[in-house]
Order: sequence, then C-alpha cells, then structure tokens
Amino acid sequence: MKKFSTVLAGAALAVAFAFGAQAQDKPTMGIVVKIGGIPWFNAMETGIKETGAQLGVDATMIGPTSADPALQVRAIEDLIAKGVDVIGVVPNDEAALEPVLAKARAAGIKVVSHEGPGIQNKDWDFELASVKGFGETHAELLAQAMGGKGEYAVFVGSLTVPLHNAWADAAIAYLKDKYPGMALIGERYGVAESVDDSRKTTLDLMAAHPNLKGILAFGSQGPIGAGRAIEERRMIGKFFVLGPFSPGQGRKLVKSGAILGGFMWNPAEAGRVFVRIGKMLAEGTPITDGMTIEGLGEVHPDMATHNIITDNLIPINKDTVDELADLGL
Amino acid sequence: MSRLLSRLRATYGDDVLGLMAFLLLAVVGFSLATPKFLSAANFDSMAFQLPVLGLLTLAMLAPIISGGLNLAIIFTANISGLTLAAILNYYGGVDAPFWAFLVGTGAALLVGAFFGFLMGVVIAYVGAHPILVSLAMMIFLRGLGEFLTRGGDISGFPDYLKPIGHGFILGVPVPLIIFAVVAFAMHVLLSHTRHGFSVYMIGSNIDATRYSGVHTQRTLTLIYTISGLLCAIAGILMLTRFNSVRVGHGEALLLVTVLACFLGGVDPFGGFGRVVPVVLALVILQVLSSGLNLLGANQHLSTAVWGLFLIAVMILRFVAGRVRERFEKRRN
Repeated sequence: MKKFSTVLAGAALAVAFAFGAQAQDKPTMGIVVKIGGIPWFNAMETGIKETGAQLGVDATMIGPTSADPALQVRAIEDLIAKGVDVIGVVPNDEAALEPVLAKARAAGIKVVSHEGPGIQNKDWDFELASVKGFGETHAELLAQAMGGKGEYAVFVGSLTVPLHNAWADAAIAYLKDKYPGMALIGERYGVAESVDDSRKTTLDLMAAHPNLKGILAFGSQGPIGAGRAIEERRMIGKFFVLGPFSPGQGRKLVKSGAILGGFMWNPAEAGRVFVRIGKMLAEGTPITDGMTIEGLGEVHPDMATHNIITDNLIPINKDTVDELADLGL
Repeated sequence: MSRLLSRLRATYGDDVLGLMAFLLLAVVGFSLATPKFLSAANFDSMAFQLPVLGLLTLAMLAPIISGGLNLAIIFTANISGLTLAAILNYYGGVDAPFWAFLVGTGAALLVGAFFGFLMGVVIAYVGAHPILVSLAMMIFLRGLGEFLTRGGDISGFPDYLKPIGHGFILGVPVPLIIFAVVAFAMHVLLSHTRHGFSVYMIGSNIDATRYSGVHTQRTLTLIYTISGLLCAIAGILMLTRFNSVRVGHGEALLLVTVLACFLGGVDPFGGFGRVVPVVLALVILQVLSSGLNLLGANQHLSTAVWGLFLIAVMILRFVAGRVRERFEKRRN
C-alpha cells in the first residue's frame, strides 16, 4: 500500500513541477471563463496566450468543466489565494460572483469582466458588441436583402434568454422605425437553440405566410435550422436567413446561400483585450474617454457603471466564413 | 511503536490511515512545487470552498450507506435556498429584518426535510429503487424551480448574511464551523445511535433487518428526511456564499459528492462507510483541486486527476484486502 502511495505522490509531484516552473515579476492575470474546452473559449485562450507573451503578462485562462457559477466561484477563490494582480471573468451568473469578486478587490486585485456589464464589483467591463448595435446591424442587413419590404419573422433561443430577446427588441424597433414596408409576423418564436425546431417552424411559417421573405434568428442553432428549410424548399436567393451562428457549423449553408450571413464578435480578440486592459490596470494606467485601446478602437467608457461598450462586429458571410471556421469557431 | 500503530489502526481504521498518508504526501508535494500552497491565503480559500461540497456529500452519505442514492441533493438544496430567498425578498430583500431570515431559514429547513421525507416515504413504502425515486425527485424539483424562477436567479440579500458565508469566528471561517458541527452530528448519529445502527443494517441486508424487528420503513424515511435537511443547510450556505440563488447553482457538484463518498471507503452496495474518512477524502479532493489550480493546471486535468485518484484508491484497497487475507490464512 505504501509503495503505491509513493508512486502516486511521485506522479503528483511530477505534474506539479511541470506546471510550477514559471517566471515571476511579470504582472499575473487569471481569466475565468464560462466553460473550458469549447471552441469559443479555446479561441479566447489563444488570444490570451498570444497577447500575454507579447506584452509580458503572465496570463492564464481557467475554464471550468461545466458552465456552473459554483465552479467559477471556486476558481476565483483559488486565484485570490494565488495572489494574481488581475482577475478576468466571463460570468455564468453575474449575481453569484459578486461576493467573491468583492473579496478579490478587497485583497487588492483588479477585476475585468466581459459579457457581464451588470457586475458591481469590477474595475472595468468591456463589450465587443452593444445590444442595440448587434440587433440593429442584423436588422439593417435583413432590410437591405429584402429591399425594405415584405414580411419577416424573428426567432430567439428561448423566451427566457434575456440577451436574445434584447437583441430582438432592438432589431424589431429599428425595422419598425426605418422600414415601414416591412412587417413582423407572429410574436417571436423560441426555437433557435434547436436545429430541428427552427427547421420545422420555418417550414410551417413558409406554408402559412406566402409573403414571408426573411427570418432573423438570434440563437446559435436558429440560422442553421432555418437555412436547411430554405435549402429543402429550394428558396435560395428568394428567402433570407440571417443571425449569429457558429461559422464551422454553418459553413456549407453560407456557401450555398441558404444562410445570407450574420455577425459575431471575435473571442480571440476578447482574449487579447482582456490582457491589454489587465496590463493597464496592473500598471495603474487610467482608462479615459476618447483613448484608443487596440481591439476596441476609440472608447467612451461609462464612468458611472464602469462599462466600456463598443461595436466591433465581424461579419460572417461567404468571404469570411472559411477563415473563421478554421479558427475552430 | 508497533503497539502504537495497531492502536491507531484500531481507533481510526486502515482507510483513515491510508487517506491521511495520501493527504500528507499531496500537501508535501504541492508545497514543494509552489510556495503559495502553504500560505494563509490558500488555506482560507480551501476552507471557504470545502463546506458547500462537504455538506452535500454528508447528505449523500447516509442514503449510500443504506444501499441507496440521493440524486436530488443539488436541487433540494436549491429549492430550500429559493424558499429562504423568496421569504427574504418578500420582506424587503436587502432591507429584510433579521426575524425574516430566521423564519426563512426555518421554512427552508422544512422544505428540504419535506422533499426528503417524500422521497423516503416512496422508497420505504412503495419499494421503488432509490435511484429511480431520487431521479424523479431531481427532475421534478428542477422543473419546479425553473418554472417558479423562469430560470433566473434571486439575488440581493441583507448585509447581516455576509458573515455566514464569508466571515470568521476566532480566525476560523464560519462555513467551515457549520460544516464541522454538522459532520460531528452526523458522525454521532451514524456511529452512536440506534438509528445509525439500523442504517448500516439496512444497507447490509434489509430483509434480515426487518425480520430482526427493526422498523425498516420508518428508518428509510428518516434517512432521506435527514438527507433533505442537510441539503437545506447546504442550500442556505450557498445562498450566503453567492448572495444569489438559482436552480442550477452547484449542478456540477452532484457526482463529485458520490466520488467523495466512494473515496472515503463507503461501500457502493451499502452497509459500510464512516463520516471521518469521507471528510478526509473531501479534504484531499480540495487539496488536489486547489493545488493544481495554484499551479495553473487545466481544469479538465484536475478532474482527470480526481478520477485517477479514485481508481488508484480502488486498486490499493483491493490489493490491501488480498494481502491481509493471505496473512490471516498463513497465521491459521
């Protein structure tokens, strides 16, 4: 029994040393994301590593094994114990992280968040897309494809996903205001988290509304499902599907024209910005109105809420889809 | 020396000594690898992380010893937490008076115990397998919670709750004190009471236990009621830790509690298992996860190390059992 334990401890030690050999004196930063091992956050990690090496910041990403705020709290506790200079976080649940982030700040650690504008205990939050900008950019593209007239429908991931619904609100309000010739049919359909449901709903809607010419799908599976329905009905070029989706998954449909396109923000860029802002905070560089941060452009931070909201959307279309898909997105 | 060792073995058992040895090795290993491991900050961090998982594991323990399983622990905890949160919110949220907290805590404990009781009754009197019953309860509670909260969270509680989740008493984190008290109570309950004895007997052979005059149905009901009560305590602690409750909080911990029980030498078929080695196993899991985190290892790697650790312990136990058998044969 003893021998086995010794061997085990030896193995633990070996693992420990392999990860322990790291340089000191550089600013250290730990970034806790929603979940590890998925393409989105793998791309973010690439950005973090790259910029960390460039700027001389010892930056690591921690991706919990499941999207559970309890695991994020544990990871942040460990980062506080480790004594990092900056903690970055992409929250699963903003409220659940407040106490532990307050603890981090009390320990003198700077906090940067992304996709968490509601967090109170932070130094800065940065966004690559504003809710309004994201909704309106999609709406504008749809209006142009449809020539400013005809009927369209809106899908969201689910009726309880606040972000999707906020995007949908912005898009619908924009179209109502700018393109009176376009009419929304139905309320909105909470199907865009399932390829099958989106496909079925699209087929049903096409049958019921002969004048339906476009679908705006907010939810990663929505454009895919709707695109398949368009392909089945041979309506490519006459019917327009757009919305944010995973380029790798939608590559074929975009190329055939079944999905017109969509917009997204680049997770690798978010990773780079994390490190850049982290370095500024560690060095005490203040963030001021009108300054330029690489990756965000000229920023106009909200000094009351400490949010830096920008619109750095990248289009997903026939020309860009290959490059994005090759990033593993 | 050998007498001391045999006395230690008699008091604590082989499993405890083995786990202690591993814990020592892990601590020494990590402190050699990084100076930050043996720091006050890291002990704080571990002491604040352990109790939630610990309480949930204790809730899992008695059902496993009795030959069952309670898959509903996480959602029972969250439903109890939601009960407290709803009551606090009703009386003003951040400005809720202290008595609202007391009422809410009482209600939360009742709700936890009630759902445990319900499970216990079905298991004991209908005779359905605990895995199925608790699975059904888990799905029911999850659905109920999602329905009531629409998947969102309730947050924003009075400031006087902070010390419970984040404070110290005499330098010891409050959550750790709560966990220690509950663990001690469970230890006494399982090893020094009639109910505890019946739990082990039911796990070993439920029919023989019934024929020897133990009211097995009542005991089973009580096991799950207490499990539900422990879940409620975990749920209240989670509320104070996160300052927020949502149905899905801590979902990832469910299988870790089962892992901790098995690491602590609990027999998966019931009948055997003690509180002390399970607590040790929890400490080891926490040391492994915090240590690897301090070194900046990938989270998936720490999960993998947990799994490897369980497999290694299983093999060690098997080998140790074989060796002992052979010794005893030779002696005879």
